[in-house]
Amino acid sequence: MGLSDYIIMRELNFPDINRFERYCQVGGWEAYRTAVKEQTPATIVQMVKEAGLRGRGGAGFPTGIKWSFLPKDVFPRYLLCNCDESEPGTFNNHQIIDRNPHQLIEGVALSAYAIECHTAYIYMRGEFAAAALTLEQAIDEAYRAGLLGKNILGTGYDLDIYVHRGAGAYICGEETALMESLEGKIGQPRLKPPFPAVAGLYGKPTIINNVETLANVPRIVEKGVAWYRSHGTEKSPGTKCFSLSGHVNRPGNYELPFGVPLRELIESPEYGGGMKGSRPIKIIIPGGASAPWLTAKHLDVPLDYEGVAAAGSMLGSGAVIVLNDTVKAPHVAYKMDEFFKHESCGKCTPCREGTHWLVKVLHRLAEEGHAEPDDIPTLHGIYRQMAGNCFCLLGESAVMPIKSALELFPEEFEAIIKASNERHQRNGAHAIPLRVS
Amino acid sequence: MLLETHREAIETIVGRYASPRSAVLPLLYLAQDVYGHLSNAAIREVADILALPETAVFEVVGFYTLFYSRPVGTWMLQVCDDVPCCYLGAEELITALKDSLQIKEEETSADGMFTLQRVKCLAACDRAPVLQANLDYVYDVTPDKVEALLKDLQSRAADARRRGVSGRFAEDFAVTEQGAVELVARDAPYQSRQFEVQGPPPPPEPLPPPEVESGQDRAETRRGSPL
Repeated sequence: MGLSDYIIMRELNFPDINRFERYCQVGGWEAYRTAVKEQTPATIVQMVKEAGLRGRGGAGFPTGIKWSFLPKDVFPRYLLCNCDESEPGTFNNHQIIDRNPHQLIEGVALSAYAIECHTAYIYMRGEFAAAALTLEQAIDEAYRAGLLGKNILGTGYDLDIYVHRGAGAYICGEETALMESLEGKIGQPRLKPPFPAVAGLYGKPTIINNVETLANVPRIVEKGVAWYRSHGTEKSPGTKCFSLSGHVNRPGNYELPFGVPLRELIESPEYGGGMKGSRPIKIIIPGGASAPWLTAKHLDVPLDYEGVAAAGSMLGSGAVIVLNDTVKAPHVAYKMDEFFKHESCGKCTPCREGTHWLVKVLHRLAEEGHAEPDDIPTLHGIYRQMAGNCFCLLGESAVMPIKSALELFPEEFEAIIKASNERHQRNGAHAIPLRVS
Repeated sequence: MLLETHREAIETIVGRYASPRSAVLPLLYLAQDVYGHLSNAAIREVADILALPETAVFEVVGFYTLFYSRPVGTWMLQVCDDVPCCYLGAEELITALKDSLQIKEEETSADGMFTLQRVKCLAACDRAPVLQANLDYVYDVTPDKVEALLKDLQSRAADARRRGVSGRFAEDFAVTEQGAVELVARDAPYQSRQFEVQGPPPPPEPLPPPEVESGQDRAETRRGSPL
């Protein structure tokens, strides 16, 4: 079920689509020109609402509804584009920008016009130095063409778009931490409410949308709601850029309509091309590191927000990591939780301490093979003290890998414990090592 | 002093935000690229420029991983060791780099050329194992390509110093089958097979060139900015 017309990766094979003139030749910036000249901001918001565009950053919240939370007549407002893509398995924002930066900039500009804001920031993770440069050059071209700046196209509308680079912190993808970081502080999340739409950047009403979400907006405005809704499912309209990685033959980004079965993404020769060396699938992580795991028996799950949720996981950012039978579940949980431990901002105790203890126990167990007889209840105990108690979703996400591993593959933990007990006869080697790191 | 050498750039950066404090990250990048790393004096200088308490800037340097408060090599090699990279050769890559450079993680080679770091996901999982050299991506870098990569980076040391360790002027590099490092021209879109589709569509009629109205001056000043 390939797409005849892509939305996010539009004009896939039109050469040099990343050049301003080329993008304009295929109708690029037309939606924005028309909108600014002829349409009211409210019309654009209504279109996005009716199109059913959902936030692609992970939560799947309807974008148009989010925009309508802005309090009336409170200015200035800010639009922030979240490009702090850092979760293991997610890699489409970077490629969307490399392939066609203008589409994103048009999306940002259109959305800024829709919410009546005059300053938009694209917050990129610091590691995307090249992509930041690409975007800055593309933004310069838009300024030169009179599409950004003061009195755009003679309409009196002003808009500035700036690229702001973070400096290496996954937590800054959390919307309130992103605003803290943009204000020049350390990236620790804020308490909600107030929600950003009411009091966000500099205490002003602020909308934060993901790169992929905003890249959808030009096509919705250009081609209309009915066309957009002809893709995907009733509740998850449109397409999703799935980032497929792991032990598959053809890892990469594939734009597919919502609702395509997981099997098709992994096995179709057009997309994943099946498993490397035809080894069996062991673990499927369908939505980035924070999604509960699925296994080979879930291959018929449809890839939309509802379908993946019904299978007990979440679509999240659409980052599908597929691992084969050579990996050990406790080790995958260890590596995943090491990520969360490294990225924990240290603000709240359950996350700061919980991720550390999870990693300490898992490192000893999965990496060094020293296990205590009661490690399984210990691990259950640690994540239960985290679940529901963390300040933001980072800590809650860190629960998922270990919880999934214990639920799906308890026998692997038991085997390590058994082997370890037989080998060490409780000589102290299985104590948690006190290491400075 | 940064204010003397980069006044225009600093003013451009600060002018982008409603609060000068927002310029902390961009100015720290600037200082880091000018001085090589963020010494205490450099951090205080940024605090002075923005009229912030020193601690506000020191804590930022401590929090974000891309700010280096001690001297680092000309090339900062940052290897992703996360899932899925770690199951696709990242550990072997790190071992090969350590053996070749005779250093451990977080150390700098004796000639001051390379610093090796393990980092978390670099958002290029489809090209695993992956590393960044001064934030330039190097994709599909298997252990057998390490020697060629290091040699190539060594020959471009002057280039690295010019562009700074924060990769402000980064370009993409790819390692070829033979192990040579190739520059992927910036103009080429992300080259990967997954974007290929069958049968190119007929090229549409070119539109008239976009009308140029206001914004000209703006674009000129932006071009002069270093970031």
